[in-house]
Formats: sequence, structure tokens, C-alpha cells
Amino acid sequence: MEFGDSACFTLSLLGHVYCKTDRLAKGSECYQKSLSLNPFLWSPFESLCEIGEKPDPDQTFKLTSLQNFSSCLPNTCTTLVSNHNISHRQPESVLMETPQDTIELNRINLESSNSKYSSLNSDSSMSYIDSAVISSDSVPLGSGTAILSKQAQNKPKTGRSLLGGPATLSPLTPSFGILPLETPSPGDGSYLQNYTNSSSVIDVPSTGAPSKKTVSRISQAGTKSVFSQSGNSREVTPILVAQTQSSGPQTSTTPQVLSPTIAAPPNALPRRSSRLFTSDSSTTKENSKKLKMKFPPKIPNRKTKSKTNKGGITQPNLNDSLEITKLDSSIISEGKISAVAPQIQAFTLQKAAAEGLMSLLRDMGKGYLALCSYNCKEAINILSHLPSHHYNTGWVLCQIGRAYFELAEYMQAERIFSEVRRIENYRVEGMEIYSTTLWHLQKDVALSVLSKDLTDMDKNSPEAWCAAGNCFSLQREHDIAIKFFQRAIQVDPNYAYAYTLLGHEFVLTEELDKALACFRNAIRVNSRHYNAWYGLGMIYYKQEKFSLAEMHFQKALDINPQSSVLLCHIGVVQHALKKSEKALDTLNKAINIDPKNPLCKFHRASVLFANEKYKSALQELEELKQIVPKESLVYFLIGKVYKKLGQTHLALMNFSWAMDLDPKGANNQIKEAIDKRYLPDDEEPITREEQISECYPYESVGTDESQESSMTDADDTQLHAVESDEF
Amino acid sequence: MTTPNKTPPGADPKQLERTGTVREIGSQAVWSLSSCKPGFGVDQLRDDNLETYWQSDGSQPHLVNIQFRRKTTVKTLCIYADYKSDESYTPSKISVRVGNNFHNLQEIRAFSRRLNMGVWNKQLELVEPSGWIHVPLTDTHKKPIRTFMIQIAVLANHQNGRDTHMRQIKVYTPVEESSIGKFPRCTTIDFMMYRSIR
Repeated sequence: MEFGDSACFTLSLLGHVYCKTDRLAKGSECYQKSLSLNPFLWSPFESLCEIGEKPDPDQTFKLTSLQNFSSCLPNTCTTLVSNHNISHRQPESVLMETPQDTIELNRINLESSNSKYSSLNSDSSMSYIDSAVISSDSVPLGSGTAILSKQAQNKPKTGRSLLGGPATLSPLTPSFGILPLETPSPGDGSYLQNYTNSSSVIDVPSTGAPSKKTVSRISQAGTKSVFSQSGNSREVTPILVAQTQSSGPQTSTTPQVLSPTIAAPPNALPRRSSRLFTSDSSTTKENSKKLKMKFPPKIPNRKTKSKTNKGGITQPNLNDSLEITKLDSSIISEGKISAVAPQIQAFTLQKAAAEGLMSLLRDMGKGYLALCSYNCKEAINILSHLPSHHYNTGWVLCQIGRAYFELAEYMQAERIFSEVRRIENYRVEGMEIYSTTLWHLQKDVALSVLSKDLTDMDKNSPEAWCAAGNCFSLQREHDIAIKFFQRAIQVDPNYAYAYTLLGHEFVLTEELDKALACFRNAIRVNSRHYNAWYGLGMIYYKQEKFSLAEMHFQKALDINPQSSVLLCHIGVVQHALKKSEKALDTLNKAINIDPKNPLCKFHRASVLFANEKYKSALQELEELKQIVPKESLVYFLIGKVYKKLGQTHLALMNFSWAMDLDPKGANNQIKEAIDKRYLPDDEEPITREEQISECYPYESVGTDESQESSMTDADDTQLHAVESDEF
Repeated sequence: MTTPNKTPPGADPKQLERTGTVREIGSQAVWSLSSCKPGFGVDQLRDDNLETYWQSDGSQPHLVNIQFRRKTTVKTLCIYADYKSDESYTPSKISVRVGNNFHNLQEIRAFSRRLNMGVWNKQLELVEPSGWIHVPLTDTHKKPIRTFMIQIAVLANHQNGRDTHMRQIKVYTPVEESSIGKFPRCTTIDFMMYRSIR
């Protein structure tokens, strides 16, 4: 390809294009190539996981480009400059930040964080590191140059400009080295500035643009710390550009940490990674443009030309400082400031840092891969072993929360998500899972708070509207929920979950055709969205098309093999298809996977009951009674079993308990079951009434109310009886 | 009997909706009236606003026809009537008929548990109502009826008024919580959590 150094980014974008047009094989091939060219890229890895491939993190994230480093080494400032000139052109893509992530700003994901090293070398084909890094503020290392006060220039607004600076390895050195060379003259305009797009937020036409264009985008709203690299001064936030510093390769910038931790440079490295990932993961939804921005090395000369595209350059070079590639920061922290000599040191440091970064990437990669293959327990395990400053970041915790959610351990998930809200309350990605968790737990207050916060924060994100829809769905206002889910779809038509949720709402309002259409749309957008397959299965089950239902559930199960709920449903469907043996097997499997799922036991009991294995059914139900003592269905089924066994009094007792527990349920079935007992015997009603008054086992369930309703029910029955006598 | 007691008001149907046991399906039906005064028609009857009402403009009986696209299970009808504001326009005798079409309607026995009197009448008798009236629509086996069409006929008004006001009517269908299996609903969150994947 003709893209040379930026081939990896190009390939990654090409991969996206292929995937969107359903050519998954080619897409995954492109992603693999891209990763082989630049192991620092996270988003192709993420995409690979999401399309179902299983890239091996160990293989992927390893440093093979060491030679690049070394080749970078000898560059001193001067040489660097020349190098810069040559290699400068990196394509810059800007990452667009989605409005919602303020933090994510950095998106530029440092995909190629280290590629900087290579990039410096003209020959290296490594990608450039987008260092959006920003953080600035800290320490202006080095001599003054700069500083890039650029900040000033850059736009105040949200500035998250992600400017990736091509920090080449040498960059550290050279860049810093260069700084002193360059005078912070405004003339230089440093390309950086251009990047930062001075003030205007330029949305780069994403995708695609592998072309060298610097586009800086400023995302809006977030206004949160910006990682702008170069002084994004734009950001009002403290970003501060660190600036370049003199010879020392260190870029002082300490990346602004998203997490409140640390300022210390040593932490920078790790933090940066998490940010990196965070930003990556937060797919720019909105624009879905992920442009990697490459930040050309700060070479004053070049910059001006390259960047001229975008306006405003106000800042003087600064850029260099911005580069903060992670490594740089670590290196910076070292505070080595010296001129040439340290370059070698710098290099080794950088290498070490790169290695550290790689190992982090490996771990995260393993965790993410496990999660995408729904190997949730392992994912949780891997991710929990990350060092705490990584663990306590939004992205990691969200992944863990999602893993718990997929395991149906909603309490745990809720706990983790509330932690995310606490530490990163601007984070919107991943919150749709939190809202569904709260929906399952029926915590309506928390859910409505969440949805209000999210919609206030970012009206353009589908997650916020999904949360709002979930909130109203919990309140049973399905029409309003439908409206919100449709809004979520409008905001982002490529967001599969919104379609799924909308489909569920249509099922609840009994508009099954529309529901079918929605689920199919969800699958069109993302064929690995097992919730949509499940939804289709449910609809077919409702329409009694059991074999179709089984097929769809099976597809869902293929994607997510550890879901006990799915297995349970399959078991029930198989039973409906009269394959009771298989049903029992499936249910046993479900119980083995998740012994805490009471419904599996319940359905197993009902299958046993249908097969007339009353004793085992009873045993199952007794166990269930211990686990969930307040569930009326359990008593109902026990009653039915006793009825079949001929123990009518016990049956009646259980039926009455069931009715107690479900007074408003208007369970006609229960009443019917009881009534049938009465037909043959006229004096039963009275006996029943007595029984009802005698056996009130539960004080808990609004006794008065339940008593009253039971009594009234009894009245009704009597009345009916009387009536029938009359007429 | 002697002085009939006043019809006590029923619960707000919104409460009923929140229990999740019923769902309002008036929006799935076509509504028509036997007559109405301009500006006081179906929209006012279905606008969720108790201040606006339908006013009939013809001869008795005044009819409200509700036609569904497909045979629907209907559990409860909720009518809002208020003697204090409507006085002689307040309906006093209502008959509910169901069937497949206009020619096929049959009266159903409508009674409200809440009424002290008139339990056995074939028609619903209201005495100075002051709120929501819940009319359960059940057949002889006490199950909700399945029908294409419902017709509410106002046969008489208070103080022998000619025309009638009706402020709001809602139709409820039972929610089939058939998550899986032909069982009634779960009551505990523990069960409900595992009931479906969302």
C-alpha cells in the first residue's frame, strides 16, 4: 500500500469498512495486518474481538519493532529535525471525540503510542503514535521553550483535542531537543497548533482519512480535562501543556489523568493506557469517526505546512511537548534532562516503558477477549488482577460490570457500576448495561436518577436514551419507553442494543410484528448480539412456533454459551416440543453452570411434574422453597403436585399460600385450580374459607390486604355459587 | 331497598397499570359515538383529561362503540363519572354489550364489587358516582372476555336528563406475563431477574 508508515491505521480503517459491508473475513484480515504492523493499536484488536475472532493477545501485543527504537536512537536533535522533515507527514487523523466523553478526549488513542519511535524513522513503517496525550500541565520540563503556551491558543472549548503527536522515539529526544531549536515563535505555528485546531472544532471526516490531514476535533461538551497534547490549550481545563522541554526527552506532560489519581509521572504510563483504552472503547459513537491523529513530530518547519489546513494556529510549537507518548511521560518522569547523552538512556527507558505498556495491553487484551467470547468468569478474573490504578478506571470497571451482567449476577454488576459512576461520572459508555441491570433489579429510583443524569449530560448518546427508556419501561409506561428507544435509534442508527430494547418493548405491548422487525435490525447491525437472537426466540415461543424458537435460542447460545437463562429457556422449549429428556439435560446443564438461578430449578420441577415424577418434583420444589420463600409460583406448583397426588388439603393449603403471595396477580390460574376442586363438592367453599383463615403463614405480605382480598375472593366464590343456584 | 347508597369511587386506573397486571389498549381500537356535540367528542373522551368530556346530542340510548382490529381479551372497563360536576348529565344506568359486530351484540352482566347495591342487576347502576367506576368484563367462568367489539350504552341519566357527559373511558386487557412456560406471573424479584434476557 502506498501509505507507508501509516499503513496500520489505514488497514484498521479498511477493516472497519469491510466489517460494515459484511465482509467479515477480509475485515478481520485487515485488522490482523494492522496489528502486526503496529502492536500498539487497540481498536483493531477490540474490533476483532467483537466480530468474534479470537486474536491472541500474547501474540499480538509484543514488541517487535525494537529495531526501530534503536534506529531512532542516534537521532539527536539535529538529526531529528531532519528526520522530521522527512517523516513528517504522517497522516493525522483526529479522533473525534464524542461529545459524551469528555474524558475520552484523548481518543486518539494512542494507538500507536509507541509507534512514535518508529515513526521517527522515516523508514520505519510504524505508525505514528498518536499521542494525544495531553496532560500537560504538569511540569513543564525542560527549559522553557515552550510551552507551549499554546494552550492559549487552542481553543477553549472542550478541547479535547487529541493530537497525536508522532512521538517518535527519538521524539522524546528529538522533540525535546527540537524545542530548544525552535523558538516558540508564532511563526512556527507549530503544526501542533494546527492540530489543535485552533479553535474550531473540526471534525475530521473520519474514517477514512488516512490522508494526512490534521484534523483536530474538538469535541464538545465534555470540557473535561483534555488531553490535548499540545497544549491544547483549548481546553479550558487545566491541561496544560507541558511542554517540551529541552533536551531532555522528557515530555513533561503528565497525562491528565482521567482518573483522579496521580499526577506522578510514573503513573502516567499506566494511566495513559487506561485512558487509551477508554477512549478507544468509547467508540466515538457519535460520529463514529475515529481518526487517528497523528501528530507529526514537532518540527517546526514541517508543521506549518502540514497543518495549515486548519486554521488558527496560534500556538507556537508546543507540540512537541505534547507528544507525550506514554513512554515519554515515563521517561519524563525520570527527569532526565540532558542533551545527547541521555538519549540512549531515553531509549532504554522507552523500551522498558514500551514493554510495560505491552504487558498491560496483553492483560487487557486477554480480559477483553474473554469477555467478548462470553467467558465471563475468566474475564473478571483477568481484569481484577490488573494493578489498582488501572482497575479503578471507568473502562476496566465497565468491562467487569458487563461480565457480571452477562453472568446474570446483577447485584455484583450493580455494585461495580455504581463504582464507575462514582469515579467517572461523566462516562456514558457502558451505562446502558447499568440501566438494564437496574431494570432487572427493579430499582426504579436509581434507574431514574441514572437516566436523568445521562440525558442531562449527553443528549446525543444512545446510551442515555436507552437508560431513559428502561426507566419508563420499569414503570410500565411502555409507550413512552418506545418513544425513547426510537430516539436512541435516531441518535445512532448503528447501535444494536437500542433496537433490541425497542423490540422488547414491542413484545410487551403485544406488537409482535414490529418487535420482530426490531430484533432483526439489531442482528443486521451486529450479528453477535445474542440478546436479539434471544428476543426472536421469545417471540416465536409466544406464537408457539417452538422449533423456530429453539433454533433461535440455540443461535444465541452459540454466541454466549454460559448463560443459564438461555439454557433454561431452551429447556422449556424442548419440553414444549415434547423432548423432555433433552429438556431435563439442558436444565441440568443450566443448573450446573449457575446454581443460583431459581428459575432453572423451577422449570426442572415443572418438567418432572409433567412427566409425572412427582416425588422428585416435590423435592426440587422444597429446595426451591428454601431458596426463595416468597415466590407464589413455587407454592402454586407444589399445590398442583399435591393435587395430582391426591392430597387435597395440602394442595389447597399451598394454593392459598400462593394466592396470598400474589393478591393482585389475579391469578386466574390459581383460582381455577382451586375452583376445580370445588365443583364436585359444594361444601368445600366453606372449608376453604376456614383454611384460608387458618393457614396464613406469612405476615409479611400485607396481611391485611391479602386477607381482605382472599376473603373477598372467597366471597366472590360464594356469591358465584349462590348465583348459580339462583339461575 | 331504601335509599341506595352512593356509588363509591374506585381506584385510579393508573394504579392498576402500575401493578403490571393490565395494560390499556384503547389505542388499539376504533372509537365511535352515537352522537356528540361539536367539540365534545371522542378526542375529549380519550384524552386522559378529566376536565374534558363527551357530550351526547341525540336520543337515548347513547352509545360508545369500541372496535378492535382483532379479537382482544378485555378485562376491565374504567369509566369516570362525577355527579357533582355533571349533575343531570351523569349516567345512572349503563349497559355493556360485546360481540363481533353491531348486529351481534350481547349484553354482559356487569357488576362492580364495589357497589353495595345492584350487584345482581344486569346493568350497571350508578348512584351519584364521584370518580372512577371499574367494570369487570367477565364471562360466566369469571375469565376476561375475548371480543371484537364493546358497546357501552347509557340508558338513563340522573334526574332523567336527556344527554349525558362522560369524562373518560379506559379499556384494560390482562397482561400475559408468559415469560416462559404457561405459568402465572412471578412475584419475587429473584425469579423475575432470571426470567428474561434483556
